[in-house]
Amino acid sequence: MSTQLVTPAGEPSPGAARGDSQLSRAVAATRHFRPVLLLVVGLGIYFSATQPVFLTRLNIENLLSGVSVLWVVSLGMTFVLLTGGADLSVGATGAISGILLAKLLGVGVPGLPSVLLAILFGVLIGGVINGGLVGRLNLSFFVVTLASMTTLTGAVNLWSNTNSFFITSPLVNRIGTQNTLGLPTTIWIMIVSFLIALYVQHRTYWARDVYAIGGSIVAARLSGIRTSLTLISVYALAGGCAALGGVITAGRIGAAAPQPDPTLPLLAIAAVLLGGTSLLGGQGGVGGTALGVLFIGILQNGLSLAGLSSFWQQVVTGVILVVAVGGDQLSVRGGVAGVRRRLGAGGAPVAAHGIDGAAGPGPGQSS
Amino acid sequence: MNALQSREPAPSAPLQAQVGPGLLELRAVSRRFGGIHALRSADLVISGPGVIHGLIGENGSGKSTLLGVMSGQLQPDGGQIFINGAPVSFASPTAALRHGIAMVSQETALARDLTIAENIFLGGRMARNWRGINWKATRARALEVLERLELSYDPDWPVARLRPDQKQMIEIARALSMNTRILILDEPTSSLTDDQVHALFRAVQQIKSAGVSTVFVSHRLKEMFGLVDELTVLRDGLTSACGPVGSFDAHSLVDAMVGKPGAWKEYARASVRERGPDAEDAALSVRGLTVAGAVYDIDLEVERGEIVGIAGLVGAGRSELLEAIFGIRPVSAGETAIDGKPFAPGNPRRAINRGLGFLPPDRKSQGLVLRRTIDENLMMVATLGRSRFRPPGGREIERKVAEVAGTMRLHAESNRSLVSTLSGGNQQKVALGKWLAASPRVMLLDEPTRGVDVAAKSEIHELLRGVAGNGVGLLVSSSENEELLELCDRILVMFRGRIVASMPSAEATEPLLARYAGGHL
Repeated sequence: MSTQLVTPAGEPSPGAARGDSQLSRAVAATRHFRPVLLLVVGLGIYFSATQPVFLTRLNIENLLSGVSVLWVVSLGMTFVLLTGGADLSVGATGAISGILLAKLLGVGVPGLPSVLLAILFGVLIGGVINGGLVGRLNLSFFVVTLASMTTLTGAVNLWSNTNSFFITSPLVNRIGTQNTLGLPTTIWIMIVSFLIALYVQHRTYWARDVYAIGGSIVAARLSGIRTSLTLISVYALAGGCAALGGVITAGRIGAAAPQPDPTLPLLAIAAVLLGGTSLLGGQGGVGGTALGVLFIGILQNGLSLAGLSSFWQQVVTGVILVVAVGGDQLSVRGGVAGVRRRLGAGGAPVAAHGIDGAAGPGPGQSS
Repeated sequence: MNALQSREPAPSAPLQAQVGPGLLELRAVSRRFGGIHALRSADLVISGPGVIHGLIGENGSGKSTLLGVMSGQLQPDGGQIFINGAPVSFASPTAALRHGIAMVSQETALARDLTIAENIFLGGRMARNWRGINWKATRARALEVLERLELSYDPDWPVARLRPDQKQMIEIARALSMNTRILILDEPTSSLTDDQVHALFRAVQQIKSAGVSTVFVSHRLKEMFGLVDELTVLRDGLTSACGPVGSFDAHSLVDAMVGKPGAWKEYARASVRERGPDAEDAALSVRGLTVAGAVYDIDLEVERGEIVGIAGLVGAGRSELLEAIFGIRPVSAGETAIDGKPFAPGNPRRAINRGLGFLPPDRKSQGLVLRRTIDENLMMVATLGRSRFRPPGGREIERKVAEVAGTMRLHAESNRSLVSTLSGGNQQKVALGKWLAASPRVMLLDEPTRGVDVAAKSEIHELLRGVAGNGVGLLVSSSENEELLELCDRILVMFRGRIVASMPSAEATEPLLARYAGGHL
């Protein structure tokens, strides 16, 4: 990167010389999530070697089902982070959608419409509240989603009188606990949601808009991209994923509980960051996120197999987050280019004036 | 004249021989500078006193040289000058003045720190009495001269505090105070606003009614028809047409200037502000545009294929003007039209759909998404109309990317490289290319070559000229006057949110631009 500054115009910078063949391009594409890929593989090998149960089919199914909620929520969260934002309200959105599901089933609405309505409700919460305030009114995503998290947490407890509701719908039970075509339904949901997310990320102009907004919302807006609408849709997607998470949760425990999982939003953000998506937006993708979620799942599962407290999972995840993500930032932004970029980003107005000032005092201010 | 006529393939405007001696006659005047024939055989006849005579011609047609000969600043190599039929020769400007010929040149020649009265009577012509200068009488005489021009200025004001149009008036007043019979105004309207032009026209009419003839030089054809009584058209150092204004129309005038029938069409498109009566609408026209606190009452037009520059210091409102046109800055008043169709800018997308493009000044944060690839950036605007659920790319897009990258002469390893890996000049080409890919009608460019090296800069300039050549109107803001002089057909100068000057760039110089930009008018 730093060489580009001294390369004469027209010469491609040496760094770009790689990436010609398909293979090397494919390898280059893993750049963002290479650390977490290594961790997942290493951890998998370690637990396979030390814990005989680890590689059994039942354990793998348990492992995956255990992170299925985190998986779908993190996939939605990925797109939010790609825009340079984050959604803290996913736990609360999931909880309130779960309660809605239980109430709908309670008044006799059939399973499928209830599930779809619950997910639609999540889409609306995400799109209208979070998306509207962030995308349309340009409020800070942190303030907005913190506020909606708080508000929804209160609202769901008021609405449910802090009661949990048992769910007896066959569809929801199937989603949570039963197999479909020989695999737990949750795993099917994970596969399908991942493939959809991957398709959306690579094969739609919408995702390009998302990346453009995360890369530079000003540039995106000046290019005519509907930034407000895109942000609204991104938060709507995250809300829908959160609601799907709420439905899966309800199915897994057979009841809708009004208490949101307080760790869910931050764990999802951690998984996305572990997967190499930039907190600043514009870089990364769902492939890395899937690995990030897998890492957390493997860690949790392996530690419990080893008889260690599951709190170790949190300790390790935290440390890895700093080492993997922070270390990656050091390597990417390291050296002269990194310093320059940071100075450039922080002192943009100063730099702009500097340039103008340099041109101005020529003939411009003489007389 | 007959010789002349035979040289011309029957121009649409007649070359009329003058009957009887005129007030001032220049016959077959020639003048060379080194190997260059600035004037080959020019004729100009002012038919009598109280006549407004328009002199018109493209840059390099010999106008300035002819004026120089007329005002005694240059000695002709050949030809004759007659006043009321008697041959004369002017050895110096003073000699011309003695014959009642005074010239107001484009560059104001006033003593900044002296008062209006002192400037009018510059050169020891102030009233005197036994104690020295008689200030009272000087003042009275200055008022008298100003009166003739319908000006209500205080003669004791220092000239430095006047606007450029007011300074020009003082120069005219000075010329009048010297018992001038023929006043030469060299491009007097080039730096004036419309209102100021009207004031100047009134003054010229006043002079006319007092029996003083005026030679009026201008680029603006419209002005000519509104003001002058007779016309002389110069081309390549020759008088290509002359006669009463009634014998011309806009088309024949342009044809005479350019030298080929039908040229007016091309001229209307390619050149300055004037258009024939049924020429196309301007690519961009802005009327009375005001942005509270930044830009006031901006009138401007950009023709198809024209490159208009905006000069001015930082903070003069250049960027704000472009942003307001593009719809990213709320406008408090004014109208905008593209291709003659009015539109209200509101957001970038609407502006883009109407054919506007905007190259922002900071490519890294505003112009590009650095961490995306070249092709994504290049197609960002061109693919706006596509469904967001559609897969990007495809053969058509790839071809377009290759085409734009080729046009831009983009030096990159691959179109899939990240923009951040490119050099500054190539990044700027991408920032520009993404607009060209969308084929705008009008491009607004804010600092189009900021922070790029010299080679890339001239490449970008060449590209922009090519874009203009395809009929796109370009409005370019730059803090580098040199760049504007090189790139633009016409330059507007902004000072504190207003356009204070407008001139063809062939007539602009860096010091001139800098002076206007600094508010020294």
